Amino acid sequence: MPIISLRCRESITGWLFVSPTLAGFLIFFFGPLIAVFGYSATEWNLLTQETSFVGFENYTDALTENQDFWLVFRNSLVFAAGLVPLNMVMALSLAMALSRPFAGQVLFRTIFFAPVITAAVAWAIVWKFLLQGETGTVNQMLAIVGIDGPNWLREPNWAMVAVIVTRVLKTVGLNMILYIAALQSIPRDYTEAALLEGASRWQIFGRIIWPLLTPTTLVIMIVTVVGSLKVFDHIYLMTGGGPENGTMVLAFFIYEQGFEFFNVGYASALAVIMFFLIVALTGLQLRLNGGLQ
Amino acid sequence: MIKQIVLATALTAFSISMAFAQDLRMTVWTGSDAHLGMLNDIAEEFESTHPGVTVNFETIPFSDYVRGLTLQLAGGNPPDLGWLLESSAPIFVDAGVLLDVSDKLRNDAAYNFSDLSQSAMTLWQSSDAIYGIPFSTSPYLTYYNASMFSSAGIATPNQMVKEGSWTWEALRIAAKKLSDPANGVYGFQSPDGLGYDSRIMHTLIPIVRSYGGEAWVNGKCGFDSPEAIQAITLYHQMIFDDKSTVPPGEQANFFTGGAAMTINQISRVSNLDEANFEWGLAPLPSGPSGESPTIGQAAIVAFARGQNTELAAEFLKYMTDTKNSATMAQFFPTARKSVLEGDAFLNSNSAFSAEQMQIVAAAISKGGVLPSHPAYPQIEAAMRPRFDALWQADAVIPSVMASVCRAIQPLL
Repeated sequence: MPIISLRCRESITGWLFVSPTLAGFLIFFFGPLIAVFGYSATEWNLLTQETSFVGFENYTDALTENQDFWLVFRNSLVFAAGLVPLNMVMALSLAMALSRPFAGQVLFRTIFFAPVITAAVAWAIVWKFLLQGETGTVNQMLAIVGIDGPNWLREPNWAMVAVIVTRVLKTVGLNMILYIAALQSIPRDYTEAALLEGASRWQIFGRIIWPLLTPTTLVIMIVTVVGSLKVFDHIYLMTGGGPENGTMVLAFFIYEQGFEFFNVGYASALAVIMFFLIVALTGLQLRLNGGLQ
Repeated sequence: MIKQIVLATALTAFSISMAFAQDLRMTVWTGSDAHLGMLNDIAEEFESTHPGVTVNFETIPFSDYVRGLTLQLAGGNPPDLGWLLESSAPIFVDAGVLLDVSDKLRNDAAYNFSDLSQSAMTLWQSSDAIYGIPFSTSPYLTYYNASMFSSAGIATPNQMVKEGSWTWEALRIAAKKLSDPANGVYGFQSPDGLGYDSRIMHTLIPIVRSYGGEAWVNGKCGFDSPEAIQAITLYHQMIFDDKSTVPPGEQANFFTGGAAMTINQISRVSNLDEANFEWGLAPLPSGPSGESPTIGQAAIVAFARGQNTELAAEFLKYMTDTKNSATMAQFFPTARKSVLEGDAFLNSNSAFSAEQMQIVAAAISKGGVLPSHPAYPQIEAAMRPRFDALWQADAVIPSVMASVCRAIQPLL
């Protein structure tokens, strides 16, 4: 009987423990990812099931011939550029306010976290009512102070603002919780010592708290950027990509190409482009973080 | 020993019956209890004459119907039969996913294929092949809140029809008088409130055609014609000048008393079961080109990739025979001439008077089906953002319609 070394046995045991997760990863993530790369080189009609190899034609069409693609690309970047800083600033502000014990702390944390666990459909339906142009609650409240509110979801200039703000309100609670956990891990000795040294609250934040929050900030930024570029349900439910394609983002554009026009190959090419965009932005953020440290 | 033989025989018979049990699955977009009850009654009669067969209806919401159906077909889980809208007919016929049922229908004298209106069959035939049978050739009509008209002392649409004065201009005037937007009540609502989104065509085509225009003719876009622009200008003025039409983004609904009038098909009457107001039904208003009834059509189709194509074709034939067409006509006006011309049709729906059903029959005989095209999804996607520019108060309508035509002409 062959003798298996202890190291080998431990290695086998380790692989057996991770094999279920690894199998799931390969089957449900890595496999489809590779398949999308393959589909992107084909012209595949979902309805007729006819497939033909077209090489890079889908990519050249998207990048050089389809004007809608660059509009959608711009919209995606605008959405991310609007959502990420607003979300992170609000999350940190709320975390700073809710990290120290006070009466009602748990209630307020719950209130701000509740939208995170609210169903996206319910959230969208309620906000569509609130943002109605004539009878919406938001405009009625603005009218009280003499402001004539726009038709938030129907005017091209305001629709993007509306979807960004409503998305931030839905997701800020999660980042708030992450920041609270990070704030509570900062030893109080640091801030107390700084206070004794005569540092102002702004100096304490800028010189002590903010640097110690860098790892958490990096994680939140990466996750929020990736999430903002992948947004679909919010756009689908609130505006359907309109008005005038003003809120049409990449994920919705991919869905439209694949499931409304049945062009699976072209949709796959767009998905690959989005994948590399997200990888590039994530790499940039990691590089920037490395430079700051 | 005898007990064992009996048990073995019973088990064998059960296994054989299970092997021969056949299920038919049919997709529909209605979730109405009244509609599904009627369909299930028809299915039960079919099952009683086909032992071992079970028919199930699966509802896919209208807004997701084509998408959901396509995913089932592509995903290896095709239904046996389904409903299909006129706008999807060219795509599905060209894709070759529909079963040719011509042999089943033409060779059965009792089915009486010639009783089906040939104009209604246009979208569902290709050469000699038959890919679907219209079960609903349903005109768009004007629903109106008779209580609101009575309270305001205004002549109702039907009164104006008798006077020969029921036009889109008259509708505009009535809508303006009946509107109270400050209290969330409007004079007019687009079909299902979706006139700015998925039902742009259902909203504009009736007006455009009554002014002598058309969406596209012989591959040329017609939205930028003077007639179409004049028609769309009237509707735009109703929304933004008169403020009498439910504007973009608002949720007021005719069926709950939020609007005085709407245009829709008779299948919507079930939404009025609990209405606390008197209501009426009138033809679509006429325009400078006269009356132009608009028809929405849907057919029952069988899918070539289904598990039980022979049985599916049999059920399709059964559902669309004279008897069941008459049954379904209470909600879905049939394409069968004998049914439309009979008294049974006029009395088929207890929610409508015989006089109201005569309005329906008259509209079917004169109406034109909504536009369709093999590239309809792409056309709709190209149109929608351009039409978004129309739903602004300061829209320059000729310019907007020109941009619509520039966007869709390459696809036509």
